[in-house]
Amino acid sequence: MDAAASTWGRRGLATFYGLLAAFLYVPIVVLMIFSFNDSVLVAFPLSGFTTRWYRQLLENEQLLTALRSSFVIAAVSSVLAVVLGVLASYAVVRRRFVAKGAVTALLLSPLVLPYLVFGITLLILFRAVDSFLIPRVGIYFGLGTHAIVIGHAVVSLPYTILTVVPRLERLSTDVEEAARDLGASPRSSFRRVTLPLLAPAVLSAYLIAFTLSFDEYAIASFIAGDVTTYPLYLYGQVRIRIGLPQMIAISVIVLVLSLLVVVLVEVYRRRAERRLDVGLPSG
Amino acid sequence: MRDRVRTWPGTVALLSGPVLWLVLFLIVPLFIVAGYSIGALSLFPTDTGPSLYDWRRFLTGSSVYMSLFWKSVQMSLVVSVIVVLLAYPVGYYLALVARRRKYVLLLLIIAPFLTSYLLRVLAWRVILGAEGVINTLLSSVGLRDEGDPVNWLIYSRFTVVLVLVYVWVPFVALPIFVTLENLEASILEAGADLGGPRWSIFWRVTLPLSLPGVGAAFVFVFIPTIGEFVTPSLVGGTSGLMYGNAISELFLKSLDWQTGSVLALFLVGVVAILMTISARFAQIKAVESP
Repeated sequence: MDAAASTWGRRGLATFYGLLAAFLYVPIVVLMIFSFNDSVLVAFPLSGFTTRWYRQLLENEQLLTALRSSFVIAAVSSVLAVVLGVLASYAVVRRRFVAKGAVTALLLSPLVLPYLVFGITLLILFRAVDSFLIPRVGIYFGLGTHAIVIGHAVVSLPYTILTVVPRLERLSTDVEEAARDLGASPRSSFRRVTLPLLAPAVLSAYLIAFTLSFDEYAIASFIAGDVTTYPLYLYGQVRIRIGLPQMIAISVIVLVLSLLVVVLVEVYRRRAERRLDVGLPSG
Repeated sequence: MRDRVRTWPGTVALLSGPVLWLVLFLIVPLFIVAGYSIGALSLFPTDTGPSLYDWRRFLTGSSVYMSLFWKSVQMSLVVSVIVVLLAYPVGYYLALVARRRKYVLLLLIIAPFLTSYLLRVLAWRVILGAEGVINTLLSSVGLRDEGDPVNWLIYSRFTVVLVLVYVWVPFVALPIFVTLENLEASILEAGADLGGPRWSIFWRVTLPLSLPGVGAAFVFVFIPTIGEFVTPSLVGGTSGLMYGNAISELFLKSLDWQTGSVLALFLVGVVAILMTISARFAQIKAVESP
C-alpha cells in the first residue's frame, strides 16, 4: 500500500497541481496574446495580429535608457553581492568563530526586512550623510545609480549566500588539503581548486542577484533620484493607457528571457556539478 | 586538525567585507531612522527638536495609521493562509506522490516567482480592469451589458488579496516541498504498517511533522505582504490601500518623514517579534522530532 495517497487521492492531487499551474500561467499567456493584438485598447474582442508594439520599443529612447540603467545597476550590484557572498559563505562553512549564529543571522537579515522599509532607511541615510558632508567638505553624495547599486547589493547578498553555502558544504575539504599536500600555497589551492569547483553555484548566484536587481522597484523608488530604471519606467507607463501595449510587449520579452535564463542555469548547474563531482570524495 | 596559522584567507579577512557592508548600509541606517523618529537629529530646516510626539500620536491611535496597520495585518493574514492552503497540496503531491519528474514539475511552479514582479501585477491589472480582459470578454459574449462592468474585480481588497496570493504561491511551494521531502518515507511506511488508514497517518504523522516548514513558509509570506505597497497602489484603489502605502506617501508625497520613520520602525519591530517567535517555535520542533 502506498502510504501517501490512494489512487483517487493521487488523481485529485494531480488535478489540483494542474489547476494551480494554470492559475499561475494563464495571466502570463494572456499578456503574451495581447502583446500581438492590433489595438491600443487591451480588451476583447481581439483585433488582429501585429508586431508593431515590439517594433516601437526599439525607437522608444526613454525605455532604452531605462533598460540600460537597470542593466548597469544589476551588473555591478550582483558582482558586489557575489564577491561578498562567496567570502561570507566560505567563512560560514569552513571556519569556526565566535558569535557565528549572530553573524549568520546578520548576513541573512535582509531577507526579512521589508524592501519598503529598507528603501526609506537608505533614503534617510544618504540624506543624513549629505547634510553632514555638504556644509563641512562640500562633497555631495546624493541619490541615483550608485545609491541603488548599494541597496541592491545588500538585498542580493543573502540569496548569493544561500546559493553558495549548500555547494560548499558538499565539497569535501580533502581536495583542498590534497592540493596543499602537493605543495600548493593555501592561496592558490583556494583559487585553483575550490573556486573552479564552486563556479556553477557562483554563476547561478550571480544570475539570481542580477534578475533580482533588474526587476526591483520598491527600494529604487526611494533612492533613484533623477535616474529612471526599467521597473520605475514600467510603473509610470502602466498607468497611462496609451503606453500599455508597448509595456506589455517589453514585459513579455523580459519575461521570456528571464524564464529561459532560470531554466538554463538550473539545468547547467545540475549537469556541471554532477560532472565536477565525478571522482571527488563526497563531503 | 591542520595547522591553523596557514589557513588562508583569515576568517576576519573573509568576514570583514560582508559584515561591514551590512552594518554600514543596513544596521546603521536603522539607528539613524530611530534617532530621526524621535527628533534626535534633523535633516530639514523645518524639523523640530527632540520629541516623542509622533510616536505617541501613532501608538495611541489618534492618527489613522494604527487602524490602517490592523487592516493590513488582516489582509496579510488572509493572503498567507490562502497561499499556504494552496501550496501545501502541491508540495505534498510533488514530494510524496509524484515520483518521476518531480523536480521539473517543481521548477514549473517556482519559475514565475523568478520573473518580473511588476509584470505579474500588471497582468492582473490588464485582466481585471473595468475595460480589461474579463469584463470585455463578458460583454462581447453577451453575459453582461457594455458599460456595466463587474466593478469589484479591480480596485478592491479582493483584488489586492488575489494578486498577492498569485505573487506568493510559487515562493511558498518550495519550503513546503523541502519539508515534506525530508520526512523519511519510512516514517510514513511505519505508520502504514501499524495499520492506520491514510487520513490518520496524514493527521497524526505527516501534518505535525511538516508544521515547522509550514510555519516558516507562513511567516515568509506574511512579512513581505504586510510591508507591501506596490500591488495595492496598482490594483487596490482607495479601499485596498495598505499600511505600506501610507509609509510611502509620507515620504514621497506629504514629505512628513518623521511620522513615516515612526511607521517604518514600528513595522521593523513587528517583523523582529515575528522572527523571534518563529525561530523559537522551530527550535522546539527540532528538539521534539527524533
